[in-house]
Amino acid sequence: MSERAPEPQFDTSDTDAAIASPWQSYVPAVLAIFGAVLILLARLNTVGERFISDGVLMLLALASYLFAAVFYLTDLYSPFRLARLLALWTATLGVLLNLASWLVRWVAAYDRELAIFQNQGGGPADMPWLFRYVPFANLYDLSLAFAFGAGITTLLVIRSGHFRIVAALSLPLAAIILVLARFIGDEILDLPPVLDSSWRPIHVGIASLSYGVALVCFAVAILYLLKDGVKVEKMAVWTSIFALAVFATISNFSVFDPSTIGTYAASVFDGGSRSALGLRADIPYAGSLIVAAAVLLTASIAAFALFISKGYCNARSWGWGFLYGALAVQAAGIATLAYQLKTIENAAMLIDPAQYRKFAVWMLEQQNVPPQQISAMGQQQLYDMGNKWITENASQLHLSLNANPVELAALVTAFTGTFFVVLFGVKTQKIRCLLPAADKLDSLMYKLAGVAFAGLALLLMTGAVWANESWGRYWGWDAKEVGALVAWLTYAAFLHSRIAYGWRGRRSAYFAIAAFLFVIFTYLGVSYLLPGLHSYA
Amino acid sequence: MPAIERIAAGNAADAAPEAFKGESLFARFLKLMCSVRLGVTLLVLLGAACLTGMLIMQQNIDGFDRYLDGLTPAQRLVYGSLGFFNIYHSWYFNALLALVSLNIVLASFDRFPRSWVYVSKPTVAVPVRWLRERGQKAELTMEGSAARIAERASRAMKAAGWRSVLTHETNGRTYVFAQTGAWNRLGAYFVHAGLLTIFTGGFLTAQLGSTGQMPLRPGQTMNQMFDTVAADGQAREVTRQLPFYITCVDLWQKLIKKDGSLAAQNTIDWTTAFTIADETGTHEAQVQMNRPFDYRGYRFFHANFTPVGRARSIKISARAANGGGSHLLTIPRDGSASLPDGTIIDFTEFRGNFRTGPEDLSENTTDYKMPAAVIKITQPGAPPQTAYALGPRMRSIPLANETVAGYAFELTDFEKAADQHVLTVQYDPGANVVYVGFAMLFAALSGVFFFSHQRVWVAIEQGEKADRSVTIGGHANRNRNAFDGKFKRFVKELGSK
Repeated sequence: MSERAPEPQFDTSDTDAAIASPWQSYVPAVLAIFGAVLILLARLNTVGERFISDGVLMLLALASYLFAAVFYLTDLYSPFRLARLLALWTATLGVLLNLASWLVRWVAAYDRELAIFQNQGGGPADMPWLFRYVPFANLYDLSLAFAFGAGITTLLVIRSGHFRIVAALSLPLAAIILVLARFIGDEILDLPPVLDSSWRPIHVGIASLSYGVALVCFAVAILYLLKDGVKVEKMAVWTSIFALAVFATISNFSVFDPSTIGTYAASVFDGGSRSALGLRADIPYAGSLIVAAAVLLTASIAAFALFISKGYCNARSWGWGFLYGALAVQAAGIATLAYQLKTIENAAMLIDPAQYRKFAVWMLEQQNVPPQQISAMGQQQLYDMGNKWITENASQLHLSLNANPVELAALVTAFTGTFFVVLFGVKTQKIRCLLPAADKLDSLMYKLAGVAFAGLALLLMTGAVWANESWGRYWGWDAKEVGALVAWLTYAAFLHSRIAYGWRGRRSAYFAIAAFLFVIFTYLGVSYLLPGLHSYA
Repeated sequence: MPAIERIAAGNAADAAPEAFKGESLFARFLKLMCSVRLGVTLLVLLGAACLTGMLIMQQNIDGFDRYLDGLTPAQRLVYGSLGFFNIYHSWYFNALLALVSLNIVLASFDRFPRSWVYVSKPTVAVPVRWLRERGQKAELTMEGSAARIAERASRAMKAAGWRSVLTHETNGRTYVFAQTGAWNRLGAYFVHAGLLTIFTGGFLTAQLGSTGQMPLRPGQTMNQMFDTVAADGQAREVTRQLPFYITCVDLWQKLIKKDGSLAAQNTIDWTTAFTIADETGTHEAQVQMNRPFDYRGYRFFHANFTPVGRARSIKISARAANGGGSHLLTIPRDGSASLPDGTIIDFTEFRGNFRTGPEDLSENTTDYKMPAAVIKITQPGAPPQTAYALGPRMRSIPLANETVAGYAFELTDFEKAADQHVLTVQYDPGANVVYVGFAMLFAALSGVFFFSHQRVWVAIEQGEKADRSVTIGGHANRNRNAFDGKFKRFVKELGSK
């Protein structure tokens, strides 16, 4: 039986001091863009090294998003005008810095290649066109733009004071995207020639903005479910299942594997190389803490399941207790992992010898040795080869936060999911009352899904045109193409189910959540898990 | 629900299942095929099939053999028999696409008349109570006859930019209605028409298109392209004839770091210059990365290059053995240069990793470890002799110091280029149809999002005294901010003395 929320008592009398009329409500979004352009102009008139780097701007944007979310949450639990003002302008600052970071990166990429040309006796006249350097070359660039897409959509959505609470959920999600960017690393790479096309900024630009809209639509869907009376305990079950799925798959499934249970192993870098080796080093305590968190989450799932199905109030209390514990252990696990990745010096000592053979095969594959030749080699020979290489290069091997960006970001996301459920569990009824009316949230969700649908359609079209101009085929069933198609089909099903079945509210919210999960799978899963033409981003 | 809302809802609502009762099988089938519910189900099935193809590696992807080796025999059997390794070309996937297309066509035909009536014959007479529930509404008390007020409202509506002004009288009440952008309600049909056009283009490509690879080396002439097709589980190379001859004139590669390798990571662009000869004459053409060339329905793309390092031009120093000084010469690929004494030097060959003996063409020499040029020396009245101009790193090799025709040669610089560029040649009569579909889809989506359907009603009825009670209501499906401003200006204009 679902709890019905009382009618909303949301205070909309003051929709922020700066927002007095519909047109003035655009001021934060316009200011954010204008400010970012000013920073770009300042960068263009300053010698590169003396100006603040794109990486620092990104970290400042990340901090701004988090502060804005904190202010919005503060305003939710204890409404007061100053928190509201601070939240709005910190969010605006975050979007400004986010876009500025991306624009400054564009100039930095140009300067980097100009320096190479100048070293060879060339100059600006030899340089390719400016659009070659548009920062859409890898997943870091896309993440910056994705977070900006989410940030600017948030600013546009919260123009109406009714919806300002959306920012409390969408900005931390945008912050997670920036955290992922931080883990990927902001190194500027040489652009693969096939990406040097005028369609790249168009296609990837549309992708990042559409993804941003989808993210905000997802946040609205979650708020709708909360408003509509979905038990927070149910949400806890789903976020815990998500966290368990993350724990089960990271570190090549080693955390729950009976032979390596409690082991989290991080990828290892060799010297100054930009890509990780096919080797992992066991990180002390991290795996054990993840297993402890998993046990607590499983216990909370069981307790909440009892509460939801049988109505046992004691089980509910126990469930919350386990969840609080899981939150604390997750935080400790992430902190331990990050600290050790930064401080461990002798990574070679932490490599399990069981990996030597597999590593030797990986090395041979990197050298394009034919598979038949590799198969013909003895197990001992492969072991010795791996062992020899690791022994000889032990001093070069090191760990880094950049080694497993998706795994680390997934851990942070799992933690954030648990955190928000815990937060929603506090004064749930009060939050429900303060949220915008359910039909308003539903309408907003529908509009955002419509925009995401149109954006993904444009994404597919521009991608097809680019593919046809570069490879001579507009559709090749590449994993990323199909991923975007599946997300688009899900939004199409969302819009059509409203017509065909009259599905609104909760069912639409489930569609919006599923569609966003497909968007995320396309954005990350395809790049890191599936082979194909888009494996660069 | 007021009539106007019922019409709007009817535009969208799907047929109820009980409508099937007492109908023929064909009618039931047709109704099912027109149903949006079927459309949603097909979309979900299509999404599931696509996901399957994403998660199970397809047979055209590099590394498929390794993936197959990693599967259990049971997995191989199940996936193989269900066609999961090539799901996007399986019969059921094609059938699903055909069903989706049919559903779009039939559902559109089924619903279009109702939508057209909604757009072309708007409901002018609506309940006043309903008007009061609109997003924008106002009530005025005005003096004068209903006809005069209606005329005034009509003028103000036109001035505000609303077209299609209609007036209607019923039950002692006079209505004035205006709207703009009604076609916006048909956006979904344009979106579906765009999608069907794209599907048609895809079908034409699959049925009539052909593609192939054409490796080209300077001086080489080709009138064939090569393709690999899968038949009976085996890859087979097929040759396709072209209706013209291609002759490669030149090829070059622009590198980021000139002292780096030919690898793609160090490349800004590849260029292939060639001529096309047919019954209409000889035509010059040039292909670069992302800059294809079109000719007679065929499109040429840069696809790849062979990893064999060559030179587009070389710079060599010829040092006279008798102490007569040295000369610096630049010789283009397959070109020649002369020394002051009339000696002619032909640049015949270049090797990226020089070894005496025959060249191993399977070796990757794009990093130019031991660059060397093979040159032919011809002195007046003497037979040609072969000489080697080796790079400075090979000075210790005896061959580097060998004197031929009185000169010792050294390779001082060279412009790096690959041995061959591989072009993709595509004949695709469906591509333009697909592009038209994209344009339609883009236009439809833009129309839907950037234009709105705005409607305004004015209901005039007898007031309590001698005056008239005027109720105004309006609605826009998008861009409500702009509509709200316009509505307020209209009300102000109507209410002004």
